[in-house]
Parts: sequence; structure tokens; C-alpha cells
Amino acid sequence: MTSAIHAFGESALLVEIGEGIDDAHVARARAVADGWEALGHGLAVPTYTSVLLRYDPFTLDPRLAEREAGRLVETATPAPAASFRTIEIPTTYEGPDLEETAERSHLAVDELIALHADRDYRVFFLGFLPGFAYCGTLDPRIAAPRLARPREHVPAGAVAIADGQTGVYPFDSPGGWRLIGRTELAMFDPSHAPAALVRAGDRVRFVRR
Amino acid sequence: MRIIAAGLRSTVQDRGRFAHLREAVPPSGPADPLAFAAANALVGNGPEAAAIEIVGAPFVFACDDRRVVAVTGRDVRVQVRDRLDGWTAVFVRAGMEVRVLTGERSRFTYLAVSGGVATEPVLSSRATYLPAGFGRALRAGDALPLGPSRVDPARAGRSLVPTEYQDEGVRAITGPHAERFTEEARAVFFSSTFHVDAASDRMATRLTGARVAAPKDEILTCGVIAGAVQIPAGGAPIVLLAEHQATGGYPLIATVIAVDIGRVAQRSPGEPLRFARVEREVALAALRDERRALAEIA
Repeated sequence: MTSAIHAFGESALLVEIGEGIDDAHVARARAVADGWEALGHGLAVPTYTSVLLRYDPFTLDPRLAEREAGRLVETATPAPAASFRTIEIPTTYEGPDLEETAERSHLAVDELIALHADRDYRVFFLGFLPGFAYCGTLDPRIAAPRLARPREHVPAGAVAIADGQTGVYPFDSPGGWRLIGRTELAMFDPSHAPAALVRAGDRVRFVRR
Repeated sequence: MRIIAAGLRSTVQDRGRFAHLREAVPPSGPADPLAFAAANALVGNGPEAAAIEIVGAPFVFACDDRRVVAVTGRDVRVQVRDRLDGWTAVFVRAGMEVRVLTGERSRFTYLAVSGGVATEPVLSSRATYLPAGFGRALRAGDALPLGPSRVDPARAGRSLVPTEYQDEGVRAITGPHAERFTEEARAVFFSSTFHVDAASDRMATRLTGARVAAPKDEILTCGVIAGAVQIPAGGAPIVLLAEHQATGGYPLIATVIAVDIGRVAQRSPGEPLRFARVEREVALAALRDERRALAEIA
């Protein structure tokens, strides 16, 4: 396995642990992040195949930080699958991009819905907005690129797909994913602990209603 | 403290909400972290204290009891009875009206009050993040709670040397994706004079000018930090600031060193900006010097 550790400013590292989106890389990235935080070095942000590791260069020398990161890449063990939950997201399949997206995939709307709903997607990581989970991967028959022109306004609760992934917009925001449904579920609530409904590693399942 | 005039979009900020990055909560906090830290240090607050980031004039306030205040940022002063310099601790009596004075070049101005702003934290931080409704822009008539403060009149008049904001050069370390760029693209980046685009905000300073060729292969989204310089397909660099998203999908050619991030944030639209390449040791030495200067005044 190829890995690389890059300086990211004077108080962070970016650790790359592989190429391409797959479950094993994501789990490994998360394990490195968990290990780093457990050692008390600082906060970590795992994504598909990389981990951002933050540290205080005045308590942990940057070269030592790099060695520690390298050691974690070798030794960190992904958490067992059983430690993650499956979260159901009741979804009304109505969205401004539903028909066009079905059409470009040469599918009927109902066929697209059947290929999106009632299957488990892995939560790769959270990014973009508080509580926004990048989930995948989609059936290749409904994979579609982002919109050429992102919308200035996407409503909170919009269920969307793009680039072989799916997610739910937690807040009203701009956005470039294709809107195919909506949910009433709150994806992020700062008065709850944890605030985000789903965690990286969980599975989500969209349930048609 | 009572806000009499709130400027254009002024917000309460602490040093940032870092504990929830994995839930994709942007850190937020001050766009110019050094000026923010200086304001807190001048009034005797700890680094975790909340202060106010002022955007747009006028900002006028009064406190119900006596306090030490300090205003920092680019081209700033403060008026109590007389006009006083920014980057200086000022003693203010109960009920006295204080006016924050900004200049044409001011972008982000910091007002610290001894005791700190004591608004209710959201997710363990007082940093305002408007897109998610964490806090809101301040309005005239707002009354903000302040923390307890032992006011030491001897502190008044202490000052710090303001950041040199006029200089168009900022220092940067090569970024985590630097190797993916061609040598030519890196040379263009580190030798060109860019200009600040009007679309710049607390999230990022956007630049125009020379086109920096992005790598042919797209990169997968990764975690990012303030100071990171992204090169999107169009080749116009974007320097991330405090309100950056937790993750980003553009290749990172360089990282502005911590002590120079505020100098990027404080550039006004149309002003020039150049990147000078330095090693990580230079960044660390500069950061150490800054911390020492703040510790001496605190």
C-alpha cells in the first residue's frame, strides 16, 4: 500500500493512504484519525483516502509528528463493522432534477427511485456543511455528474445525488448536486450530542414514503 | 455592553470551533487570527475569550461598568473622548460611548473588552457561523453579556506593534499537493502578482491574475485548514480563511504561514498579493515570535 505524509502548513499534516474511493481506504483513514486523537496530538479529519492531522508544533515537533503519523498508518486497525449503525432516512421522491436525471440515465423515474432507495450506503465522511454526509456508492446505472450550474438555493432536507454518491442537505444553502427527493429528518441539531445524525462509518438507507 | 451602532456585519467570534470538524462544522473564528489574539492580549483576556469582529462602520458601544478595551485590525483607531491609536489598551468608564474608527482599507476589525464577550456557546464555542444559525450578525440595541473583569487601569496605554498590512508579499510553505503541479505551475504561483477579487469574504480570499495550471487529474476531497491555497480548474488561486469548509476538493499548491493569514484576509479588492516561498522552520519561528510578543503583554 502506498502512503505519503505531507506537511500542511506548520501545524498540520496531510496523510494520503491510497487511491480511489472504497470502503477499506475510508475505514483506514478513519482509524488513523481516531488513533491520532486518542494519542492526544490534536484533531483529525478523515475523508476518502486521506487524513488531515492537526497538532501543536510547540508541544509535538513536526518531524516527530510525521514519524507518529507514519507509525499510525502502519498500525491503526479499523473499527469492527458492528460498531456502526444503520440509519433510515424516510424520503419523499420529489425533486426538481428527478425527471431529467432519470432521462439522462435512460430510466423511468420509478426505476431510478428503485435503484436509489432501500439499499445500504456507507457514510464515507462528513464535509461541505455541518452534518452533510458523503454516502456511497450508487448503482452505476444512476451515477450522474454534478449540475453544470450549481443552484444558489437548495432547501434543507433535499436528498441529492452526484458523482456516484448521495447525501442530504442539512441547511438551506447553495449546491450543485441533483435533487431527487426530500426528508423531514433533521440531519444536524446543535442541541443534540452528537449534533450530526450520522457518523462516518454508519450506513444509511433511504426509505420511500 | 450595549451596541449603539453595529456596522455592516459584525459578529461575536472566539478563536474558533475546532472540536466539530469531523461533523463538517467549519471552524469559523476571526478572519485575522493575529489581530484578534492581540486585542484579547491587550485587555488582559485569555486566548479563549470571545471578542467582536467588526465589518463596516460605524461601530459604537458603551459598557455598564468600567472596562479595558482594545481595537485592532488594519488602519483602525478608537474614539472615547479623544481619538486614540488602535492596537492599544484603552480604559473606558461606565456608560462612556466608544466609537471604533476604521479607514478605507479596513476589512476585519477586532474589538476586545476585558472579561470577554460571554454569549451562550453553541457546540462549545462562541464563534458565529451564520449559514448554520450559530449566533447572528449584531444589531444596534443588542446588549451582550461580558465576563467578570478585574480592571487594571495600569494596563491602559499598553500597545502592540500593528501588523504590517501594506506589504503585498505573504509567506507560504509548499502545499500537500505541490508535487502534483508542474514545475512551471509552481513557478508561476510563486512569482506572479495576483489581485484580490471582490468576491472575497470570511470563507476565502479569491485571487485573479496569472493562471496557475491545475494538475490534470482531479484530487479526492480532503480535510483543509485556514491558509490553504486551492487551485481550481480555472487556475485562479483561492486562499482559505476562518470560515472555510472542513473539507475541500481542489488541489492545494501552498499554505500561507499562520502569522500571515490575517494579512491575506485584510487585503481589499483590487489590492496586489504575492506569495514568497519559505520553509516550515521559518513559519514556526515567526509563530513563536508572535506568541512571545502576546505573552509579554498579557
